[in-house]
Amino acid sequence: MLSPLQRHLTSVFLKIFWRDRRSIFFSLFFPVIFMTVFSFANSREQEPIAVGIINNSASGVATEFAEMLIESPLFNITIGEEQRLRDELIAGDQTMVLELPETFGLNLENQSSEINVVVDAAQVTQLNLIMPVLEQTLLSIEREFRDIEPMFSIEIEDVQARSQRYIDFLLPGLMAFTLMQLAIAGSGFNIVEYRRKGILKRLFVTPIEPGDFITAIVLARMAIVLVQLSVLILFAVVLLDIRIVGNFFAYYFVVILGTIVFLCQGFCLGSLAKTQEAIGALGNIVIMPQIFLSGIFYPIESMPEWIQPVAQLLPLSFVSTGMREIANAGATLVEIFPSLIGIAVWFVISFVAATRLFLWKEVAN
Amino acid sequence: MPIIEVRDLAKQYPLPDNKSEKFFAVNGVSLQIEAGEIFGILGPNGAGKTTTLEMLEGLNDIDGGEAFIDEIDVSQNPYKVKEVIGVQLQANEYFDNVNLEELLGLFGALYNRDIDPKALLKKVQLEDKAKAKPANLSGGQKQRFSIACALVNEPKVLFLDEPTTGLDPQAKRNLWDLVRNLNKSGMTIVLTTHNMEEAEELCDRLAIMDKGKIIAEGTPQELILEHAPEPPEAPLHGDLEDVFLVLTGHGLRE
Repeated sequence: MLSPLQRHLTSVFLKIFWRDRRSIFFSLFFPVIFMTVFSFANSREQEPIAVGIINNSASGVATEFAEMLIESPLFNITIGEEQRLRDELIAGDQTMVLELPETFGLNLENQSSEINVVVDAAQVTQLNLIMPVLEQTLLSIEREFRDIEPMFSIEIEDVQARSQRYIDFLLPGLMAFTLMQLAIAGSGFNIVEYRRKGILKRLFVTPIEPGDFITAIVLARMAIVLVQLSVLILFAVVLLDIRIVGNFFAYYFVVILGTIVFLCQGFCLGSLAKTQEAIGALGNIVIMPQIFLSGIFYPIESMPEWIQPVAQLLPLSFVSTGMREIANAGATLVEIFPSLIGIAVWFVISFVAATRLFLWKEVAN
Repeated sequence: MPIIEVRDLAKQYPLPDNKSEKFFAVNGVSLQIEAGEIFGILGPNGAGKTTTLEMLEGLNDIDGGEAFIDEIDVSQNPYKVKEVIGVQLQANEYFDNVNLEELLGLFGALYNRDIDPKALLKKVQLEDKAKAKPANLSGGQKQRFSIACALVNEPKVLFLDEPTTGLDPQAKRNLWDLVRNLNKSGMTIVLTTHNMEEAEELCDRLAIMDKGKIIAEGTPQELILEHAPEPPEAPLHGDLEDVFLVLTGHGLRE
């Protein structure tokens, strides 16, 4: 348990950190923006594709065809004049325009008609996705007209019986990344700042032990980081409808372990760096590679073979993988044991390094 | 036994432009300071005043010689020494977002003591600033607050490192009064200064340091009588500043 001194010191640091609302707020700014952007980018894919139809045919089949397309939830159909639709296509209001020829549906039995698809080539990447969908829809409409039973139908069943969007994949990684940043900045930058102000020196001439000082900062900063992450999670779950499948306590358990590891690493950096510039540079050396290699934005499995073993051993990889398995797959703490072992090993390394490097006398001067 | 006993104290640093060569920042300093004295250490910049204090406070390792405070060996028992000393450093910044009362509570906790912040603030005439942040204090108030922080453990020895540097005359005299009052209550005070008036007014005894050594020691009056510059025609001419310049030379220090 904590000694009275440690409790007092922790409460003072809590006050110090908590009263710095501006930095608490601004450090949440980036992840909030990030999540919002990704969740909107995500939901846009599910919007119907805007398609214009120019119906040059007077036949009933053409009208019926157009109506069937209108009924399809995949498309948002506008029927109209050629000139207007072309203008809309150029303006980007339509993704493509279908031109039904005069002969469309007149000779249903022995002649196929050609549908002219007008597109804006600038949207070529989207077209690659849309064309198969369009072809599929046209085929099934044709089948209905000709009254042919389809030979087979495809039904997709998720093996995990849940819907997984990119944002669901992203959230745990983003949380892990955010907690790493908050923790490293929260200890490392503070140490450098306290040294610059001469506060460490002043503390050193009192009988306080370095262990008490480190304990107090770790506990106080941990409380702040947990509040910050809870705000983010609340934001994600309530406003962005992101699902966390697993147990919340298990999730927070990994969060707490990760925070301790990164706080210790912050102490190492803060002890090594002598200036605010140096801690910025050192921090980037630790943080930057992990952003890209720790499976935050895309799975580690999608990286080049040779880099995967290294990537998997990074501290942030263990934390983000553990959090993701709990959040996305509902894994229990037992099931993410490999990640927990990895975090534990990193904790030992970081803790030993922090206590070795954080020598009052040298860090204070 | 004097409350502070220093014998042949030495501190070596590598030269800034040639790391393999070393120089003595403090070179064989010996001092005896009696309980209840106000003792001043005078010297130009780089003379080794602060380094000497830092070794006594445990902030700097002692490379040679020995030091005892209240009969405790500083290098053997640094933590015991910290219990009986109070320290005001040159830098006097504190944590942001915490007011004076809370900071004093924190310092009390560091010594494992329950203290009365109000009473301490009253002692340094800051009782109406209890809820203020240190950053919003004036120079003189900051120094007085630093002294309040140094008093939380009711120290036997109070170290003040250039306490009046940068203060206006009013604040300076106000601080002298505070130091005298603390001294009257029995506290031994060791201070460094550049201010000759301060040394002459405030200190019972002085040591003048230069290049890591003590080059003169005594009461202000003794030093003036002994070292005041020529011409010696009566009445004796010159003040402590002249003594200082005669002893340490007129060259500008960095």
